[in-house]
Amino acid sequence: MSASVPFLGYGLGLRSAYYQQILEQSPDVDWFEVVSENFMVQGGKALYYLDAIAERHPLVMHGVSLSIGGPHALDPDYLKQLKQLADRVRPAWISDHLCWSRGNAHQLHDLLPLPYTEESLDYIAGRVRQVQDILQRPLVLENVSSYVRAAADDFSEWEFLAVLSRITGCELLLDVNNVYVSSRNHGFDPWAFIRGLPVDKVRQLHLAGHSDYGDYVIDTHDHPVSDPVWALYQRTLEHFGPVATLLERDDHFPPFEELLGELHKARELGDKVLAGRQQCA
Amino acid sequence: MRLKDWQLAFESFLLDDDATANPVLGKSLIGGPTLDVGTGLAIYHNAYKARLLEVLRNDFVAILHWMGDDEFDRLASSYIRHSPPGHYSLRWLGKGFEAFIREHLVPEQSAPLAELASLEWAFTLAFDAPAGQPLTLQSMATLAPEEWPELRVKPTPSLQWLECRFNSLSLWRSVKEESDFPDSTVLEIPQACLIWRCELICHYRSLDPAEATALNGLLAGGWNFSELCTQLAVIYGEGAPLQAVTWLKQWVQDGLLERLQR
Repeated sequence: MSASVPFLGYGLGLRSAYYQQILEQSPDVDWFEVVSENFMVQGGKALYYLDAIAERHPLVMHGVSLSIGGPHALDPDYLKQLKQLADRVRPAWISDHLCWSRGNAHQLHDLLPLPYTEESLDYIAGRVRQVQDILQRPLVLENVSSYVRAAADDFSEWEFLAVLSRITGCELLLDVNNVYVSSRNHGFDPWAFIRGLPVDKVRQLHLAGHSDYGDYVIDTHDHPVSDPVWALYQRTLEHFGPVATLLERDDHFPPFEELLGELHKARELGDKVLAGRQQCA
Repeated sequence: MRLKDWQLAFESFLLDDDATANPVLGKSLIGGPTLDVGTGLAIYHNAYKARLLEVLRNDFVAILHWMGDDEFDRLASSYIRHSPPGHYSLRWLGKGFEAFIREHLVPEQSAPLAELASLEWAFTLAFDAPAGQPLTLQSMATLAPEEWPELRVKPTPSLQWLECRFNSLSLWRSVKEESDFPDSTVLEIPQACLIWRCELICHYRSLDPAEATALNGLLAGGWNFSELCTQLAVIYGEGAPLQAVTWLKQWVQDGLLERLQR
């Protein structure tokens, strides 16, 4: 990661199940990532806790509804509210996914895969530039887990991400678990994916759990991080150096201490890898 | 296939009840070593519906309890098919559920269910409405005597007003308190029910007809305090100002009112 990008440390996804404990315990969490849409409301508990936690911790905004690759026009109302939320919480950065989540007529509320073609690249690059003009900052885009892929791809997913970031200036959120999930489903080398991304563009990492059904793997965020993903994470840090790392959990919420323990594991692993890199340097 | 055509085919597949993709879409995709295209597409198809059902189950817990899992899922699936989501936030998915129930079930069945749906939806509206600037007893104490007759109020932004013909509030409360679920009954006299948020907590209460008429006069009838006293004098005579102040104090303590500045 380039020296100009701050290393935020180790963070957790902010979920309502833990609001009160976060305020009461001042846990050893360097930062929190908020799902932007959960806070695009006019009042109530979510905004109360958001403001209180923002006073104590750095925040990053992570959206699920931008639909950067969707067939529709970008939604000006959505972007306006996203900008208003950013003005309120002053996030370190704003991310969403390289996917489409809205169709021609309806919201599909999923992170759907895109064909990685020249046509997609031209189309999405234009939209990324539009969003960056509105938000007045680089957009950070995450690789998604996928369960089918287009036969007509001109690029691998990592090549597409690399080219997109080079031509638009957008940055990347590398979800290590998603790489693992997709590599199992599609039969590619996860390390080829990670190694194929530009070192100076990866702003953030995601860690999460998945459900392994043997023949395929689904990105469910309802389990602890698996051993193969931890191994891939370690190798990722060895390659990239310090990159802000976020642990996601969206279902089957464990006791807060358990989640903190998992985050601590990421921190220990990161410290060890980074100490090793410094010795080598 | 062009990107937009491909996405249109994918969208049609997700929205269709049948999880079999059209051959053109299927041929445009490839699977992996142990994940075939059909299974991969089925994962997306299942996820779409499961995610939306989950949202409706969380927003309409009393209806879910009343109908049971299978019947609720059938109703909610019909609703989703009829009204696929249009808003980027799933928070708004259930907005049309009450109207759908009213339009698509026979009246004897739909009326109490729809009323319960509107009650549950009202709680979601109160939950994340703007805080507003509710009047407080402290701010009322600073009113000069000459301001009282002309005092006008409006509802605090979170306030939801429901006219209940059935015992929907009892049904809802029994689910909330995990007590025995009563039979649905028609109320002898329809009852106004208020739902609102004070600070961060949602509250509810029903009003007797006299209190409902008085509050409605202030909020919807445009009465000022003096007019409220005049209206109450018909029933309460010389006790009208006392009754007006008693109710007003209660409404202010509850956090229902904002001052309407002319």
